[in-house]
Amino acid sequence: MPTKLRIALVAGLLAFASNLLIIGFIHWQTRDQIVANERKQVAEQWAVLRDIYRASGEQGLRRAIDDTIGAGDPQMAAAILTSDGRPIYGNVSAVSLKNAKPSAGPRSVLLTIDREATPREAAVGFMRLADGRWLLSGRTVAEGISLRETLERSLLVGLAVSALLGLICGWVIGQFVDRRVRDIVAVADRIGGGDLSERVPHSGGRDSFERLAERINQMLDRIATLMNELRMLTDSLAHELRSPVGRLRAAADAAISASDPQERDKLLGDVIRQSDALMRILTTVLEIARTESFTAKNQFSWVDPGELGLELAEMYEPVAEEAGASLTLDRQPILIPIAGHRQLLAQALSNLIENAIKYSGPGGEIRLFVREDEKGLSLGVSDHGPGIPAEREGEARKRFGRLDPSRTLEGAGLGLSLVQAIAHLHEGELVLDDNEPGLIARLEIPLNGVKIPDSVGAL
Amino acid sequence: MGRKILIIEDDRETANYLRRGLEQEGHSIEHVANGQDGLYMATGASFDLVILDRMVPVIDGLSVLRALRAARVETPVLILSALGSVGDRIEGLECGSDDYLVKPFSFAELLARVNALLRRSESRVASDPRLTVGDLEIDPLSRTVKRGGKKIDLKPREYLILEYFARNEGRVVTRTMLLERVWEYHFDPGTNVIDVHVSRLRRKLDEGFERPLLHTVRGAGYMLAA
Repeated sequence: MPTKLRIALVAGLLAFASNLLIIGFIHWQTRDQIVANERKQVAEQWAVLRDIYRASGEQGLRRAIDDTIGAGDPQMAAAILTSDGRPIYGNVSAVSLKNAKPSAGPRSVLLTIDREATPREAAVGFMRLADGRWLLSGRTVAEGISLRETLERSLLVGLAVSALLGLICGWVIGQFVDRRVRDIVAVADRIGGGDLSERVPHSGGRDSFERLAERINQMLDRIATLMNELRMLTDSLAHELRSPVGRLRAAADAAISASDPQERDKLLGDVIRQSDALMRILTTVLEIARTESFTAKNQFSWVDPGELGLELAEMYEPVAEEAGASLTLDRQPILIPIAGHRQLLAQALSNLIENAIKYSGPGGEIRLFVREDEKGLSLGVSDHGPGIPAEREGEARKRFGRLDPSRTLEGAGLGLSLVQAIAHLHEGELVLDDNEPGLIARLEIPLNGVKIPDSVGAL
Repeated sequence: MGRKILIIEDDRETANYLRRGLEQEGHSIEHVANGQDGLYMATGASFDLVILDRMVPVIDGLSVLRALRAARVETPVLILSALGSVGDRIEGLECGSDDYLVKPFSFAELLARVNALLRRSESRVASDPRLTVGDLEIDPLSRTVKRGGKKIDLKPREYLILEYFARNEGRVVTRTMLLERVWEYHFDPGTNVIDVHVSRLRRKLDEGFERPLLHTVRGAGYMLAA
């Protein structure tokens, strides 16, 4: 069944049911109301006539009956009957008086008002007069009933109309829903066909469909960005690999044309070095992709950040010294272990230290720091090298993004993007700050739910 | 002395390259091209070393390795793989391999690792835990080093490097082997970190002595030999 038909039917049914409920309520209420009114009137009139009879006897009663009838109320019925129920005075021409008992009424009887052909239902009260005759006083209920009937009839018409309106409304809503969904489906189809530029049109409103469209468009934007990045990465990978491959080829060419065996050995060594450099680029690109896909999460273990800092400081201190720089470790005495990837964290720090050594040059003071506060773990490296201008930060993080335009320093510009991927793997960020002068590059890793154990607090 | 080595590798070219090189070293080689045959051979016959490609058909390398270890076959296994990310290496080692070498590799690197693994499979019970190389004496218990009777002060890491060299006396030790065994890092630091540490160790070890003990092996790594 198509959606719009289903929505129309449901709406129609709901309208019908709710109206039925309202009509039922009105019906029940008005009926009670009418009946209560009738009862009251009958009882009041009976009481008035009784009082008059008691006060002024039959003469007064007859006058009162005349007055009552004469008031012009067509529903009014008042009469004196013989003990066997034959009307002898009043406006009633016939009544069946079965088991009449004196009462204020109302009892339901069939009676014929003067000059009318058919008997009508009436609510009446009876009173036994002194000589065994009866006083009948009451009202025919025809008018009340017909009022009710009219009301009911109109309510029924209303019911039919509302059901129809519900059906129409449902159809219109269904039509609307159908159209919006059809728009989205059409866009999805075109995107499935390969056109990622397609977007769900805006209707301008703020309804759920608009929000859905917005989300879908956001999702498409994200996918398009990723696709674009991927395309750019593939492009730049192909492009960036040209120079190392070129160098490799040049080295091989040189080796092949060398006649002196010693010279050739040296040149062949170059060939191997160049192919190693090429491999290193590929390994790093793969490492970044792997890290970004978060598959390394299952290799997380408890890592003591202080120990990590100590290891790397010890590892690179001689290297820095060799380069004429100095490397110092600045770490808090007690650090909470974090759930992390020891190898990748070490690699991230190693990349940052290598960068610092490379850019600091002789005399550089490099500081490796490991700190923890309530926000989390912060580990990184500061130097007094050239730093990274704020406006070029994005570039520095990019794969193959190298800020040195002459490209005199070795490296493919992959280091920081790997560090960033490692930070993301640990739900953290790579933060680059100005050391005035120089660079502070640090990983900020939140300590997710890791509480300080009591035993540590007691130390 | 020649040893028995099983190569499980589906790439014919790589397998031939390995076979030629290792046979030249005097080892006898068996070669199978898929994991199932490999597992059968490795559990059936006794080998001194298994060289296992990670991506072989029928049963993949890691499954072969797990099956071997589950069957209590403790033959040293060297994994060869094109999967070279840090995560891949750790996964391979955690499965029970003794070494993990990423393709492409130099034959010198492979040979150094093969020799280190074969040394480990030599079952010899040393009565004296001390290691000696020429006039160099290393006591692993007290972590003291003497050369020509004179004590040499080493930093903890320098000691670990030296001990690793000494345990592979006369064999080539590559830079990545040192990085993996001494630092237990499985990434490539890219610069001359290892060289710097080795040259510091060398200064302390060989300075003032006529015969150097720590040699550089061009295109491969280092060797500690008297």
